Amino acid sequence: MKDKRRPRLSFVWLHACSGCEIALLNSGERLPELLNKVEIVHFPLLVDHKFGGEQEFALPEADIGFVSGGVASEEHLALLYSMRRTCRILVSLGTCATHGGVPALRNRWTAAATLETVFGDTSGRATVAAEMPALLDRVYSVDEKVRVDFCLPGCPPHPEMIVHVIETLMTDGQPRLPGKSVCETCPTIRTGEMHRTVRRFLNNAEYDSDEPVEEMRCLLEQGFLCMGPVTAGGCGGLSVPLCVQARVPCRGCYGPVRPEGNQLLDMLNVLASHGVDHRAIVDRQSLLRFSGAHGLLRLTRKTK
Amino acid sequence: MTQVITIHPVTRIEGNARIHIQLDAAGEVRDAQVRISSLRGFEQFVVGMPAEEIPRIVTRICGICPWMHHLAAVKAVDACFGVQPPPAGHLLRELCQVLAHIHDKILHFFFLGAPDFVIRPDADYSVRNIMGLVQQQPELAARVVRMRQLGQMMLEQLAGKAIHPVAAVTGGFARPLADSLRKSLYHDAQKLLDFAVFALEFAKKKVFSQFLEVFASVGAVTTGFLGTVDVYGNLRLYSGTLRMMHPDGHMKEFEPSAYEQMLAEEAVAWSTAKIVYARSWDEGLSLDPVSPKGVYRVNTLARINVCDQIATPRAQAELEEFRSRFGRPAQHSLLYHWARLIELVYACERVLELLEDERITDQTVRNHATPRAGRGVGHVEAPRGTLIHDYTTDENGCITRANLIVGTTHNIAPMNVSVRQTAASCIQAGKVDDEILNRIEMAVRAYDP
Amino acid sequence: MKKDPLIIAFCCNWCAYAAADLAGISRLQYPGSIRIIRVMCSGMVHPDMVFHALEKGADGVMIVGCHPGECHYIKGNEIALARADIIAETLEDMGWERDRFQMTHVSSSEPERLVQAFRDMHERLEALHQNTFAGVEANE
Ligand code: SF4
Ligand code: SF4
Ligand code: SF4
Ligand code: FES
Repeated sequence: MKDKRRPRLSFVWLHACSGCEIALLNSGERLPELLNKVEIVHFPLLVDHKFGGEQEFALPEADIGFVSGGVASEEHLALLYSMRRTCRILVSLGTCATHGGVPALRNRWTAAATLETVFGDTSGRATVAAEMPALLDRVYSVDEKVRVDFCLPGCPPHPEMIVHVIETLMTDGQPRLPGKSVCETCPTIRTGEMHRTVRRFLNNAEYDSDEPVEEMRCLLEQGFLCMGPVTAGGCGGLSVPLCVQARVPCRGCYGPVRPEGNQLLDMLNVLASHGVDHRAIVDRQSLLRFSGAHGLLRLTRKTK
Repeated sequence: MTQVITIHPVTRIEGNARIHIQLDAAGEVRDAQVRISSLRGFEQFVVGMPAEEIPRIVTRICGICPWMHHLAAVKAVDACFGVQPPPAGHLLRELCQVLAHIHDKILHFFFLGAPDFVIRPDADYSVRNIMGLVQQQPELAARVVRMRQLGQMMLEQLAGKAIHPVAAVTGGFARPLADSLRKSLYHDAQKLLDFAVFALEFAKKKVFSQFLEVFASVGAVTTGFLGTVDVYGNLRLYSGTLRMMHPDGHMKEFEPSAYEQMLAEEAVAWSTAKIVYARSWDEGLSLDPVSPKGVYRVNTLARINVCDQIATPRAQAELEEFRSRFGRPAQHSLLYHWARLIELVYACERVLELLEDERITDQTVRNHATPRAGRGVGHVEAPRGTLIHDYTTDENGCITRANLIVGTTHNIAPMNVSVRQTAASCIQAGKVDDEILNRIEMAVRAYDP
Repeated sequence: MKKDPLIIAFCCNWCAYAAADLAGISRLQYPGSIRIIRVMCSGMVHPDMVFHALEKGADGVMIVGCHPGECHYIKGNEIALARADIIAETLEDMGWERDRFQMTHVSSSEPERLVQAFRDMHERLEALHQNTFAGVEANE
């Protein structure tokens, strides 16, 4: 017979917003059921377990560990190493952990520039946040720093998907992601006719509000920068992508379709391949707003 | 010899925080701090981005209250571009906001706060949580989970994405509300209101009656308060003027755009969050628990204190009972939880009110915006307190400067005062145990940082 | 130590590769740094492949296709040309120099033109590398 011990789960957040954890709580009726099947050894949002022991970030051993958020400071790094040491299986939970997420937008500036903007002129004020953990030069995804066993992107990931991943890993299975793009899960009408330029989202898309979303023309074809083609699908579960439900273009929060893809390059390619003038895009680097880790967003290196 | 006690991490709150307590040679508390260590740099990286994109970016400041950042940001961008949303646009935004308040309050009271009261603070840490609640009171827990879920589902139906929303757009809202959906939302909202009333009754009978005595020492401080009211002095969450109340009870109102004259920010070595205090009182800043200076509080208790009344009947009745028991302003930190449930009732009643407004199903939900240079301050009352976003744009409508004051920031000063006070009253001669440490954490949890 | 640059040249089957073939038959010399990859059409080269080549150690990448209007798949080279713009811009975003990429058009009967393009690219990259080593490498 198999060991009856409940699987032990451990959760930490690094450079995160807690949305990933809330998404887990949004699994609704399945939540109490799931909580009854596992033992949670560390989860700051819900459980009072503290770091203890010799090292500053000592954690209990766990079967499956979840890390949300990217790695932005020395403290995050120490906590992440501790997590890797104590967890048999390590999962990066959410786009911040898998691709840097929104906070990795800071990779376009130096850490010093960020500090100066946030705290005002810091020259001569060495005390400002001096006792706080030092920032790393940029925001890293979790897999840039430690070996990761499974990556679950999404900002936040769909609740069903989180539960699926937990349940599959609990039984030593291999969870599977849809592997499709947002467009492949989107029911809007596509004609192949594209608007020639890219429009800013300053007025609503054209659609009949009495009709279901199936009757709406594709937002990209309408000229809005919809990043559905270059974004991993799954945000709507089995239903319509979430932003499209709101009649708003996708901005790519699940990260690239292939984990190592480049959403900026791929999106510009989509536009170029369809003869759309991409120069109307204001601040094109912000197309990497969810996937700026892995060195994609950076201070531009120019040879003098 | 001095000794430092750390509580790390502070649990059942949102985000990363630790508490440092310094004891002197005699084992008495010399100082204590709540240290929040998270520096994201939103003020930096929104620079250069088209302003209309910002409401979809700043949501990532907090996954528990992304709607608040979404809305404060979209209001700030409206102001930069000089565009006014049509009535339905405002109504739909507010509807989303109050629904988001509902999920937050249920989460905070039952998932994060209640385990301290329902499962007793001296219980072992491994059961003092929502899992313990699921085991001890499965029916209550199931209902709580279901109701929170219902609120989130209503938001999804209304706005597509509930966590990190996208539906509030410059100039209004992205999608009109169909009448059929309005009816079903109305039906669901009544269930939420029933639950809110039940939750408050439950808490009054089973929770508050005991904790007020047992926890008299937790977080008793005297400060001022800041919150939002309309022209009649009614409690408001979505818009209105800011009202600042001095500890002596005198009040002053100001427009959110004048926040810089009223509030001052100060950076400190031990926290990445700046400390905000009341500039307008001209007394500087002191975190001494015996006589704090410049310190005011925000969040539920503050709003309940600064408003003259609440415009919905059930919440108003609750407010009257609350005032008759605790006076105005009520100062005890743990009353934050009570005030939270009164606001929960208000939020549910407000959902019904908004859904009854005929204009909410108008087809015109958005006015066209033209990017331009400008400055805009957007403000809402977030569950965690007054939230202010302040943007400046260039002629292309891109951000050149951003300043954010989030709810938690206002409460950093009072939270520190409360923690120092609680630590000093609970720790004698250097003796600490888990229960004492948890009481100190409860002082933080009340603020819902 | 000075190393020869490494250049990947994606050549379409119908014009560019044919021209390269002819260059070989005509014994035209071009730098050894060029590695030709034959593709059916320049329009097949996804920008990812250009970046992939650079990340894997190539110093420069060329896409060589038929003259405008002469693509055997009608519009393949137009798509390639539109992509050339975004490749150049993205190179800068990613911290590479624009000079590392070149889009060229030749017909199957213009081996000299092709060889000249190869030589130019080779020289550009050599110059770039001199600069790079003399200047400051900002990253890592
Ligand atoms: S992935 Fe999104 S939801 Fe998760 S922590 Fe990051 S910002 Fe928050
Ligand atoms: S581009 Fe956007 S609207 Fe069009 S199909 Fe893809 S996801 Fe749907
Ligand atoms: S549509 Fe795109 S941006 Fe919106 S939730 Fe889905 S993946 Fe994220
Ligand atoms: S076949 Fe030569 S470019 Fe298309």
